[in-house]
Amino acid sequence: MSISIRPLHPSFVGEVTGVDLTRPLSREQVAAIESGMDQHAVLVFHDQPITDEQQCDFSRNFGELEVTLAGQMAKPEDRRFGDRLELGDISNLDAQNRLRAREDHRRMYALANQLWHSDASFRAIGAGYTLLHARIVPSRGGNTEFADMRAAYDALDDATKAEIDDLVTEHSIRFSREQLGFQVDSPGNEDKLRPVRHRLVLTHPVTGRKSLYLSSHIGGIVGWPVPEARAFIRDLAEHATQRQFVYAHEWRVNDLVMWDNRQVMHRARRFNDLQEVRDLRRTSIKGVGLTVEETAAAA
Amino acid sequence: MAIDIQPLHGEFAGEVSGIDLTRPLSREDVVAIDAGMDRYAVLVFHDQHFDDATQLAFSRNFGELEISSGGEMSKPEERRLAIELADISNLDRDNRLRAVDDKRRLNALGNRLWHSDASFRAVPAKYSLLSARVVPQAGGNTEFADMRAAYDVLDDATKAEIEDLVTEHSSAFSREQIGFPPVDFGNDNQDKLRPVRHRLVRTHPVTGRKSLYLSAHIGTIVGWPVPEARAFIRDLTEHATQPRFVHAHRWRQWDLVIWDNRTTMHRARRYDDLHDIRDLRRTTIRGDGLTVAQAA
Repeated sequence: MSISIRPLHPSFVGEVTGVDLTRPLSREQVAAIESGMDQHAVLVFHDQPITDEQQCDFSRNFGELEVTLAGQMAKPEDRRFGDRLELGDISNLDAQNRLRAREDHRRMYALANQLWHSDASFRAIGAGYTLLHARIVPSRGGNTEFADMRAAYDALDDATKAEIDDLVTEHSIRFSREQLGFQVDSPGNEDKLRPVRHRLVLTHPVTGRKSLYLSSHIGGIVGWPVPEARAFIRDLAEHATQRQFVYAHEWRVNDLVMWDNRQVMHRARRFNDLQEVRDLRRTSIKGVGLTVEETAAAA
Repeated sequence: MAIDIQPLHGEFAGEVSGIDLTRPLSREDVVAIDAGMDRYAVLVFHDQHFDDATQLAFSRNFGELEISSGGEMSKPEERRLAIELADISNLDRDNRLRAVDDKRRLNALGNRLWHSDASFRAVPAKYSLLSARVVPQAGGNTEFADMRAAYDVLDDATKAEIEDLVTEHSSAFSREQIGFPPVDFGNDNQDKLRPVRHRLVRTHPVTGRKSLYLSAHIGTIVGWPVPEARAFIRDLTEHATQPRFVHAHRWRQWDLVIWDNRTTMHRARRYDDLHDIRDLRRTTIRGDGLTVAQAA
């Protein structure tokens, strides 16, 4: 049995068959998935009944695991996965597996996942791949949408490409939450909230393709007045998330979806989270080729 | 000569010919324009050589004029125009281009967000009338979105969910979205920044059609947690501003465009405002009343 990938969208996203993620992968299988990621930027695997342990093992094939910021900022007794900080809790459940209440602080924080973003772009080294596994899915809603930042870049006119080529943006988790009127305060974690800088245009380290590195975590462009930067970033994000660049993933139990945060943005969609459970678990790989210095050297 | 209206975007936006708006209008002309507004929500007139006095006189045919909030909140010595005319330009009082970090320039960037004029007032605007005196070489379009068509295509569950929702509007909210702190332009303006309440679904008093009353000035929904309200309003706004509901107006000098703020949103688009002049002047007609009782 060998890996095969079928495109699900004209410019990106592939559906992978012929691999069992509950078992250790061969070097060839890992290489095939990586090359699929370079080409398609998002890969969808169905019917993968993996455990937390197996998800972490599979993820480590692609690099060093990141710990999640929400986990880092939460008190140990509020974490559903205990000390396993590398497993991101993308659910509407509290530590006792009860649905979170409407005013729950963590629920408010998580609502910003409904804004288009690139995972961990608020870190000096943002995420490379993110892997998301569906354990429980709601009866309707709760899709994850992906937008192809390579195709969005390609479709810009030459004047805009020239204008943005050397722009550097500032990202913080605070900026995305502020957009929804939610203040992130985490005493002792101020260093994790401080804005970091990234190039607006990335060049993929393997394929050499350019893409827009956009995210709701962006709060400014270096050298620009803040309101002008934000209005411009909104225009670019609107361009980049037009329907022709977007794929909507409708979750089934035991789907695993992995994406390259250097090439796509994503967002969660609304569902009836006060009545229904949605339990997804996330692992992320530290990115390479993302810092201002690295990308300057590559250009 | 009778006026003629050609639709520009299905039943949304019409281009009017056969009338000179700078001269006094007959009652029949006013009735015909009002009927066109009820039907198309946006009307475009070309080659209308207004000055400020004729624009004010023409506007008064449609009701009581509103004083612009930009005018109200500025000191008299900073105003380029009479207080009934909103200064939609990138010029200062001495007709010089505003600098990159000019506060009024940054405040005006909020106009690039989809909004309905003066939705931050308890009695919001009915029509806005915008006259193009100087237009830039490229960019600077105004886009309009049809809130009636956007409402019509919502699914029944969403229509039921939003039917009785009440939103809170303040110009501080729209400015916050682009990181511009609500500033006092030298007067005591805090009362003008206090949120006002409106129904999310409005019914047009003449046609009886329902529409979404959305605006960048919305900060929350009464009874909802703020982040949930804002995420939901963003989703509705994204729905309501899909290309199929949007008409882009490319300005020519001496265009006059009238729109109904009760049934449309609009936004300005980017242009090279540090080098090129865009001088548009707006008059605004006050609405008929509250959309919902205000909190004490």
